[in-house]
Amino acid sequence: MLPPFRLARPRTLDEALDAIGDDRVPYCGGTELLLAMRAGLTRPEALVDLKSLPELQGIAVDGGHVVVGGTERHMDIAAHSVIRKHLPMLARVEHGVGNARVRAQGSIAGNLCFAEPKSDVGPALMAFGASVTLASPTGRREVTVEELIQGPYFADKEPDELLVDVRVPIPSTATRGAYLKYQITERPTVGVAVVHDPEAGTCRLVVGAVGEVPTVWTGTSPDEIDPDAIAEEVDPTPDLTGTERYKRHITGVYVRRVLEQLADVKAGK
Amino acid sequence: MAADQLAQVEISVEVNGTVVERVVEPRTLLVDFLREDLGLTGTKQSCLLEVCGVCTVLVDGRPVSSCTSLAVDADGHKVTTVEGLSDGKTMHPLQESFVDNHALQCGFCTPGFLMMSKALLDESPDVDREEIVEYLDGNICRCTGYQPIVQAVEQVAAQMRQEREVAR
Repeated sequence: MLPPFRLARPRTLDEALDAIGDDRVPYCGGTELLLAMRAGLTRPEALVDLKSLPELQGIAVDGGHVVVGGTERHMDIAAHSVIRKHLPMLARVEHGVGNARVRAQGSIAGNLCFAEPKSDVGPALMAFGASVTLASPTGRREVTVEELIQGPYFADKEPDELLVDVRVPIPSTATRGAYLKYQITERPTVGVAVVHDPEAGTCRLVVGAVGEVPTVWTGTSPDEIDPDAIAEEVDPTPDLTGTERYKRHITGVYVRRVLEQLADVKAGK
Repeated sequence: MAADQLAQVEISVEVNGTVVERVVEPRTLLVDFLREDLGLTGTKQSCLLEVCGVCTVLVDGRPVSSCTSLAVDADGHKVTTVEGLSDGKTMHPLQESFVDNHALQCGFCTPGFLMMSKALLDESPDVDREEIVEYLDGNICRCTGYQPIVQAVEQVAAQMRQEREVAR
């Protein structure tokens, strides 16, 4: 049984911004929030259900970006034609999040705002250089996913702000992306995302799940990446998925493997 | 204008084809609504963490952990539970196949596996063994060792393929 709370069901973004606050928290899929409430980690006075807000729905191309509404579910993102066309690696990552029920219920905004350290989506979006739009009653701001994910379960988002959408720059057609994770429980032990755009001369590799926040490496080509150096650089949290030494080792292994996989990925995939 | 903050919510949910209207507290979990309010005890609960899958029901055809979903979320939607699989006389092909393949022993996980399998086959009838395993990996069974379950679903998928080919 959950502790009692009230429910608000706003119909527009303005109503929603009016409804949220310190103890009145945004609610969509509940895959993180309801678990945290059941565990007694948080006890909000009200849940503000965002599922009826048109402003937080939809996936579309806007100029040079793919824009994903905050309440879009992992399952829908994985299957969407725009994502499969422009960001196939993200589609593959979304297809592998949690299990089919989590994918059917959980939203992309919820995933990012909870800043779960063992998220697959955060590192993948960071590798694409994605950002998010945060709206508050006083205006909007855009921050990168890297800036948003400040710490374990800590996103740089004020209680009066809502994550409206995720904006991913559309990579050139020469771009290749890969994501590889090692997972024996419901969450990954390590997940490594890499995106290489030879036309722009950029390459980003992100290691997630091993530490409190993802580790980002930026360069111009995958050839510059030294898996052993990245294994040294990460700051692993010892837990049930492994000791610090083990996690450094598996980081090196998975960086090496994801680069091998990237070499076999076709341009635009 | 701020949206009202409700302590009680009127909901209207179509459960296995019947529309039910109730007033619930927002904190009422979908699984408790189904089991306690409607007496549909086929849906089980166990881990309460969305890990084991025994509480799986379909909401508008999509698989949902009813232990981590609110009854108010089902308002205006269609819920299918394991009781909705059969008309009471004829078993659903998946149920038949689970029996034929000995895909259950204690049976506690079975409603969840049946509903997940239904969601999968309704969505993509052309699945292969690998896709079945991948889709069902969010459900836990401590009796069967999974092989008979996968086999049961594979068999129904094959039957469906055959029926489609005959129809063509």
